[in-house]
Amino acid sequence: MGDDKKRQWALKLALLGDPAVGKTSLIDKYITDSFNENYQPTLGVNIVTKDIKLEEINSDIRLLLWDIAGQAKYELTRKMFFQGCSGALFVYDKTRYSTFENITSKWLEDFIKFGKPDGVYILIGNKLDLKDSIKVSSEEGKLLSQKINATEFIETSAKYGENVEMAFKKLVLHILKKSGVKFELD
Amino acid sequence: MIGDYKGTVKNKVVVALLQAYHDILDYDGMKSILREAEMMYIKDVRDENPNDSIDFFSFKKIISAQNCLLYDSSDLLFEIGKKFSFYLFPFGKSFEEIIDEINSSIITNWRVNIIKNNENEIILQVHRCIFCSEIGVPCDLLKGFLVHSLQKSLPSEYRLTYERDKEDVNDPNHNSFIAKLKIEKY
Repeated sequence: MGDDKKRQWALKLALLGDPAVGKTSLIDKYITDSFNENYQPTLGVNIVTKDIKLEEINSDIRLLLWDIAGQAKYELTRKMFFQGCSGALFVYDKTRYSTFENITSKWLEDFIKFGKPDGVYILIGNKLDLKDSIKVSSEEGKLLSQKINATEFIETSAKYGENVEMAFKKLVLHILKKSGVKFELD
Repeated sequence: MIGDYKGTVKNKVVVALLQAYHDILDYDGMKSILREAEMMYIKDVRDENPNDSIDFFSFKKIISAQNCLLYDSSDLLFEIGKKFSFYLFPFGKSFEEIIDEINSSIITNWRVNIIKNNENEIILQVHRCIFCSEIGVPCDLLKGFLVHSLQKSLPSEYRLTYERDKEDVNDPNHNSFIAKLKIEKY
């Protein structure tokens, strides 16, 4: 980068997927490094902020993380939540096949329709730690991510933190790259 | 928050705003804003005397948190403004009375004045809108409030048209503006 001036960004990111796939747990792990065993559904939308520094591109970034409820009763209001979203993590539960199928039939369609036209998204297969109950293979995840043009496919465990920080960081880097910031992405 | 925040805001204004957040963003959305403002205790303000007041600085903390979390979400702000009007003035007031009362319920350096009022059009002058004042945040909440307040006071054979202009939110004076509300008969 030839420009030494520190840049500042605010990015609105959404976590989308069926109820109980682990959207809130991913955010909790990322923000506070905590995990709650007891499931409490999100009511409407939970919005949290996180300020990060990316030295490699000399930038300070405020992330606005929108944890959007997966329940059907929010379908009417949910579309308004997508305004201004620069990116999304589409999350499915590796132990429930229906959550994987709903990524294309429900969540992706809404995001494309109501989010920013150039929005970036990553496909997340969560609950990697529940090895004995897995119903969606890694291969199927990879194929879906190619089919829906996701920029990445990442498998995570919100419980143990596996790949959680990386998923958020990669989403941010892909958004900035798409916005024209020049840097090498691994 | 930079500035001089002297004044008072009646409890009923705070209650109406929290109900508007609750309607549009549901419980977790409302909680997100209060948590960001570090004002969770204000949730119980509905149990207080509606004509008592809180200090304007505390109110401004809620507005600043709202504008931080709802960055780039102007449609949501507009809808929250409409609900805010619904809850603050549920029935039985003319538009002129509503404008008088919002001015007298939020005592600080701001003002909404009706400068033209005829059967085809109402023109309002807003001086230092307190729902947006920071650079980077549009005045859509107040616009939604004004639109809904007039709409509900019109006879059923009239309808309101209002085009939301794109604001230059980087202009520090963008929070002082003229709003034209056009009235048409069916």
